[in-house]
Amino acid sequence: MSISELLSELRFRLRALLSRGTMERELDAELRFHLEQETAKYMGQGMSRDAARRQAQLAFGGMNRIKDDTRDARGTAFVDEFLQDVRYAVRGLRARPGFTAGVIVTLGLGIGVNAAMFGVLDRLLLRSPDYLVDPTRVHRVYIGWTDPGQTRTRHERGLAYLTYRDLSQWSSVFDATAGFNYRQVAIGTGEDVHRGVVTTVTASFFDFFNARPVRGRFFTAADDSPSRPTSVAVLAYGYWQSRYAGRSDVIGTSIKIDRASYTVIGVAPKNFDGISDLQTPVAFVPVSAFAPTMDLDYTSNYGWSWLEMLVRRKPGVTVEAATADLTNAYQRSWNAELAKSPGELQPLNVAHPIAIAGHLSLGRGPHAGPEARVVVWMSGVAVMVLLIACANVANLLLVRSLRRRREIALRSALGGTRGRLVQQLLTETLVLSTLGGIAGLAAAQWGGGALRRVFLTSRDGSSVVADPRTLAFALVATLTAALVAGVLPALQSAKTNMADALKAGARESAYAHSRARSALLVMQAALSVVLLLAAGLFVRSLRAVQAIRLGYDVNPLVVVDVNGRDTKIARGDLEPLVHRLLIELRATPGVVNATQAVTVPFYSSEGRSLRVPGVDSVRKLGRFTLQIASPEYFATIGTRLLRGRGITSDDRAGAPQVAVVSEAMANALWPGRDAIGQCIQVSEGSESMPCRTVIGVADNIKTRSLIGDPEFHYYLPAAQFPAPPSLLVRVDGEGADHAETIRRRLQSLMPGSAYVVAIPMTRILEPQLRSWQYGATMFVAFGLLALVLAAIGLYAIVAFAVTQRTHELGLRIALGAEVDDILRLVIGEGLGVTLIGVAIGFGVALTVGSRLSPLLYKVTARDPLTYVFVGGILALVAIVASAVPATKAARVDPNVALRVEG
Amino acid sequence: MTDERLDLPQGTLDLLILKALSLEPQHGWAISERIHQVSRATLQIPQGSLYPALHRLERRGWIKAEWGASDNNRRAKYYELTRSGRKQLELETESWRRLTTAVSLVLDMG
Repeated sequence: MSISELLSELRFRLRALLSRGTMERELDAELRFHLEQETAKYMGQGMSRDAARRQAQLAFGGMNRIKDDTRDARGTAFVDEFLQDVRYAVRGLRARPGFTAGVIVTLGLGIGVNAAMFGVLDRLLLRSPDYLVDPTRVHRVYIGWTDPGQTRTRHERGLAYLTYRDLSQWSSVFDATAGFNYRQVAIGTGEDVHRGVVTTVTASFFDFFNARPVRGRFFTAADDSPSRPTSVAVLAYGYWQSRYAGRSDVIGTSIKIDRASYTVIGVAPKNFDGISDLQTPVAFVPVSAFAPTMDLDYTSNYGWSWLEMLVRRKPGVTVEAATADLTNAYQRSWNAELAKSPGELQPLNVAHPIAIAGHLSLGRGPHAGPEARVVVWMSGVAVMVLLIACANVANLLLVRSLRRRREIALRSALGGTRGRLVQQLLTETLVLSTLGGIAGLAAAQWGGGALRRVFLTSRDGSSVVADPRTLAFALVATLTAALVAGVLPALQSAKTNMADALKAGARESAYAHSRARSALLVMQAALSVVLLLAAGLFVRSLRAVQAIRLGYDVNPLVVVDVNGRDTKIARGDLEPLVHRLLIELRATPGVVNATQAVTVPFYSSEGRSLRVPGVDSVRKLGRFTLQIASPEYFATIGTRLLRGRGITSDDRAGAPQVAVVSEAMANALWPGRDAIGQCIQVSEGSESMPCRTVIGVADNIKTRSLIGDPEFHYYLPAAQFPAPPSLLVRVDGEGADHAETIRRRLQSLMPGSAYVVAIPMTRILEPQLRSWQYGATMFVAFGLLALVLAAIGLYAIVAFAVTQRTHELGLRIALGAEVDDILRLVIGEGLGVTLIGVAIGFGVALTVGSRLSPLLYKVTARDPLTYVFVGGILALVAIVASAVPATKAARVDPNVALRVEG
Repeated sequence: MTDERLDLPQGTLDLLILKALSLEPQHGWAISERIHQVSRATLQIPQGSLYPALHRLERRGWIKAEWGASDNNRRAKYYELTRSGRKQLELETESWRRLTTAVSLVLDMG
């Protein structure tokens, strides 16, 4: 076919498609004209008008047949058929709103859950950063070594600047390397000071991206030279928009970031986050400008491991080769470090240092948090939910096709080919899935926001519908669902033997296809069981974790951290400052109590070397954590005193030195003896270590790990032990509601560029609970969803079976069956199918359950209680779902039933 | 008259339509009449196939259609040969000739 023919063909088909109405009218007119001409011809031969017309029509044949053939010749018949099928399907679906709604809701939930889960999974694990060039060749570098006495390799990704430089210059298979680091720091000055993520990068970092600044420029190697650092910053687009309202004159202005001021030289393009692991940065600053504000010697020693490294393999270099090359360079660097500071490092043959070209995404590297694992699990679960939904829909369709057997038989009797029938039925499923898909997107949009807030805490929850990748995924899920759910019922229907169907009505052979339906029900029940088991295990873990006694209160606490930044607060000024802050706090409405504290659970901890008369090698007993406390400490944090007294205002600087110890510490140091009155000696840096008399024993508290062994804590009066100023505040109500007020009031008292942060304790503790919370919430939600779907499916099937068996049941009743017998019969069948499913589900769970163990706490993956409970729930649901139609069946009037012809 | 009619061999309908249109644009009825007359009433285009064929040819771009007034001043759809249609006509005529010659040769042998 020539090009011109091809074009003409396309034009014609397009016209045929787009102006179908016109073409139909024209065809009509054309054929009518023909008939009239023909009639006129016969009349010319002397026939009467009527006879002539009859003759003409006879010669012409069936008008509709010709039209059909002509449409076929246009090459658009398939579209016509499809549209016809769609219209037909919509008509059929509107006639059965209950069925239609059931299917749409079922599919909508299945697809919605998947779309939402995909959105999260994509962000967390799959999607590479925006603007990144050739992401498959880009790696994050991990270093690892073996500690003495350990067999496992410890992985780190923070490198000293020197290590980064060594790896860059001694490796040879990369065409680009860069260092980067992002951290929460203070930004701005005065009242307006706020915390934000700042990304510190080497100039080469920008070479990894195909991004152009929207204003100004990025910094270059000339700006980023350790010998002549320039304090410049490139603002992130979002920050530029929100803080500077997108003003162009921002270039050249100054911004205070952490301890230094930077001149703004550019603005990064929209969504350019660099590599920030889902955190949205405020600005990008050069390593050479930022590093000296933290450590003046960063170019000459290996002490400060802070910089992450990014590498891009040269084309053709394998990942293994890259890792080997990096390891080689790292071992050389290790020796260089060893030469510089002997004694701090183990030799190569002990430490076995390695460097790995790892995956860019943290969730797929050695430092994957439990969240990433939970998300992968949940995605699998989402797919299971979709499968359950498909099984449900397939079941509903099967039932529907049985109800339509007569119609289908009639259609095939009238000449509908089997292919055409299947096509029609599949179209119906496709219409249903499309509606389900739309419902799903709506569900994902609504539920996805919640999911994103749970899993992508620091990321703005951009809309599901606005994300093309999620949309594409939803489309694929919809089509797959249509195929999975639709094919079996469509084939089944088309197989209908028309003679039997027309003859017998719907009654006979009603059970012919019940094996397929039962199998689907069994599968649904099994999947629900697996999900509910997981839900049960997670809920029990979460409850176990939540039941852990922390030994202090969480909700009413706010942690206040004082940060000097580049303002040096002299030692002598510190105490008066803390004093002023405490006075201000106590005057703040809503504040109940405030205290000094150096150790804040899960936030900061202090330790000093400790000596206890009569106890050898105190260190061997474990780690002892120091708390420096005001007299209000115990009342503020809520830790109970078990024996003796707490710290009072009488424990002044000159007064006898005292200490409070935790119960675990007392038991460890003085087993079987009273701790009160004992002496502990705490190093203050000077030689003298005066005896501090234990005056009280406090309850144990957890500050490092929720699930670890009891920790050792001791408390010294703030007046007797100088300490950096951190404060704990107890408010009336929720700490989160007061944090900002507290911050504003205290900030006004801060000297120079020093600033305070106020963090609700709940936010500090949250990450500790997160993975269990995720698991519990998600599995419960999905498990219940699956259960509801399975219940709907079971109900629909039993209800259908009952109608199909009206005749038989009527007969039984006529023959003397009691109501109970009928109930037992119907419910028994529903229950039987479900229990087979439960058994299979148990089997699956027992087999794969052990893989869930690392995510659980104090519950084994084979927890019998959970199994019994879940089995019970399913049995109960099965009984209820079958009981409703069963009662209906039992009320059947035999007189009516026996006359029913289905 | 039915006795003298011949069934159209497969594939010749397109050729006949193209030929009928080679002199001047015609509407559908006129095409079938013309073929009927020129073939001295031997060839009768099955009317059920005429319009599908016309639409097929139009799709191929060998003919194009336009609405115009008929002899008795009625609106009728006129079909006209396009340039590529004319080329196609030549091609098909040529291959038809070759075919018939070949067939006669075979039929005439010994």
